[in-house]
Amino acid sequence: MFRTGSGRTHETGPAAEALRLVRVSRTYGTDDSAVTALDGVTLSLARGTFTAVMGPSGSGKSTLLQCAAGLDRPDSGIVRVDGTELTGGGEAALTRFRRGRVGFVFQQYNLLETLTVAQNTVLPLKLAGRKVDRRRVREVLTAVGLGDRLGHRPDQLSGGQRQRVAIARALVADPRVIFADEPTGALDTRSARDVLRLLQEAVRVHGRTVVMVTHDPVAASYADSVLFLADGRLAGRMDVPTPDAVAERLAHLGDDVTAGV
Amino acid sequence: MFMLAMRSIRQRPGRFLATLLAAFLGAGIIMTFNSLYDTAGGPGVDPVSSDTLTTSASVVGGYGTLLVFFAVASTLTVNVRQRAGELELLRCSGATPGQLRRMVVGESVAVALIGAVLAIGPAMLGGRALLDVFQDSGQVAESVEPSFGVVALMSGVDITLVAAAGAAFLAVRRATRARRQRGRARTLLAYAALGTGAVSVTSTFAFSATDEALMATPAYGAILLSVGCALLAPRLLKGVLDRLPLTGASGWLAVRNLRRRADHLSGILMSLILFTAVSVATLYMQGVESDAVKASGAVKTVDAKNLQTLNLTVVGIIVVFVCVMLVNSLYAATTYRSQEFGRQRLAGASPRQVLGTVGVEGLILTAVGLFFGTVAALAGIIPFTLVRTDSVLPHQGLGIWLAVVAIATAATIGTSLATARRVLRTPAVEAVGLAA
Repeated sequence: MFRTGSGRTHETGPAAEALRLVRVSRTYGTDDSAVTALDGVTLSLARGTFTAVMGPSGSGKSTLLQCAAGLDRPDSGIVRVDGTELTGGGEAALTRFRRGRVGFVFQQYNLLETLTVAQNTVLPLKLAGRKVDRRRVREVLTAVGLGDRLGHRPDQLSGGQRQRVAIARALVADPRVIFADEPTGALDTRSARDVLRLLQEAVRVHGRTVVMVTHDPVAASYADSVLFLADGRLAGRMDVPTPDAVAERLAHLGDDVTAGV
Repeated sequence: MFMLAMRSIRQRPGRFLATLLAAFLGAGIIMTFNSLYDTAGGPGVDPVSSDTLTTSASVVGGYGTLLVFFAVASTLTVNVRQRAGELELLRCSGATPGQLRRMVVGESVAVALIGAVLAIGPAMLGGRALLDVFQDSGQVAESVEPSFGVVALMSGVDITLVAAAGAAFLAVRRATRARRQRGRARTLLAYAALGTGAVSVTSTFAFSATDEALMATPAYGAILLSVGCALLAPRLLKGVLDRLPLTGASGWLAVRNLRRRADHLSGILMSLILFTAVSVATLYMQGVESDAVKASGAVKTVDAKNLQTLNLTVVGIIVVFVCVMLVNSLYAATTYRSQEFGRQRLAGASPRQVLGTVGVEGLILTAVGLFFGTVAALAGIIPFTLVRTDSVLPHQGLGIWLAVVAIATAATIGTSLATARRVLRTPAVEAVGLAA
């Protein structure tokens, strides 16, 4: 139950460790049809890092992200975001836990069609009952290249633009950790590069922490490090990844899994 | 395409439940009232009985048919809109607009036919019960035998099928058009309804206070006016929203949702406006009528009382029908929002905030619907009261109106909140992933 340091020290900020998972397990279904999506995963991510989580389909990537982000509750184990442990409670409690701590970027954007770009961006602040700083919202939207699209609605934007709105929405609430679930999965290569650069910038320039689930080695190469997942367990780590190295490792990961079975 | 239509009904019967219910109830009501024509046309029916039956059938059957038409149409529109994604997919897979139209219209007609056929049995019983009421009140001779024949069957099936086919045709045309422009036909229809309603209401003054048909024109007028208001509902709603200073996350979101979804909500507003107008107008007019009869001395009090019971029965049936339609379309519309609620939750909305948003939306809808329904009802009540009693407003008090308000509010907000609660049981991450 005690917290261990991540090895890296930070001069300011609430916690040096942005995310910590201790022996987190999650099983879906019951009895015969039970599927273990996460099997005792332990990991620790320092503040100001950009981490990619990779693995073959069904390796538990999405479950890992959902458990770490407080969208789902693990069956056992400890999840700690920014030094605060995720404890029991209903959906309302989970929602309150996520507010201010966690921001999301999804493959399907998940913007509200009824709201404009600017309104979508301030929605998390409104919901959390926080004051909306219009100037800052405009700044953030300008930074993602949408300064002239504040009044547009999602259906008037391209996929890449929508994803940039989602990033602005995640940034504007100043979360401790931004979770991105296949953020480039539905984008063309050019839009994908823009989105990845924005995430990278959020980490390098603004010191945020980003955790990104992806199956694309090119996307993963934008991260500082890559965690590999296979059959619900951590299966290695790679620092300073390149697309080729990641792809090769991923291929071998598949081999190992088959060999293991 | 027809095979595809049949398969799509077989695979997802739940999706068509709302349409089936609308068609079933609608056809049932039409057939119940129109079976009175059949009964009147039977052998050995005396002229007085025949007259009573035909009059009731034409008066109630007339606006009943109108209501049923709109109810079936609005449910179908919701149904088709919810399948926009599926239709788009088919369009991308090479279906021509004509094929899509045939598919959706085919489905709708098939479902409506099933609904109408299922309604035959209940409508026979309903027609019999209605005749019993007439016979108990002494307006129809005891010797008259109930009959359920061609008129009831044909009108019930035809109207339901035409309503279903027409609504499906319009809805799919709207859904498959890339850019949809404001329907001029709708506006035209709305003004036509308002115009005819106004004429109908004003023509009340042409009758004398004791005319038996006095109640018919203002009642028709009020209903036509409410149909006009209902058709213009999206625009009226937008006008109201622009003047609404709502704070708090739920209110903020509710106003923005409603403004964007105003066009989609017209069906629900239509039910609300019709419900309010029909119940308020008829109940108050009946009240005024009864009081006037009482005041004029105790001539025919027993008959008047019976007539009142009959009137209330008939209005009761129609009001219950509209109320069921309201709940039906509201349930369908709210279930469809699962994905949207999921997105709100992922953006940081607690379940309570989502419910709060739904509640505020329901409240605004109810208020707007009640307001325009009441205005339409008053437009019918005031001329009637003026002609019948020389006073402007009826002396019935606010009791009836408050009861109508209570029922409308409970139905609207209760249904939306209960449905939203159920929808919220799906985890947010799953909800956003569900195909619309």
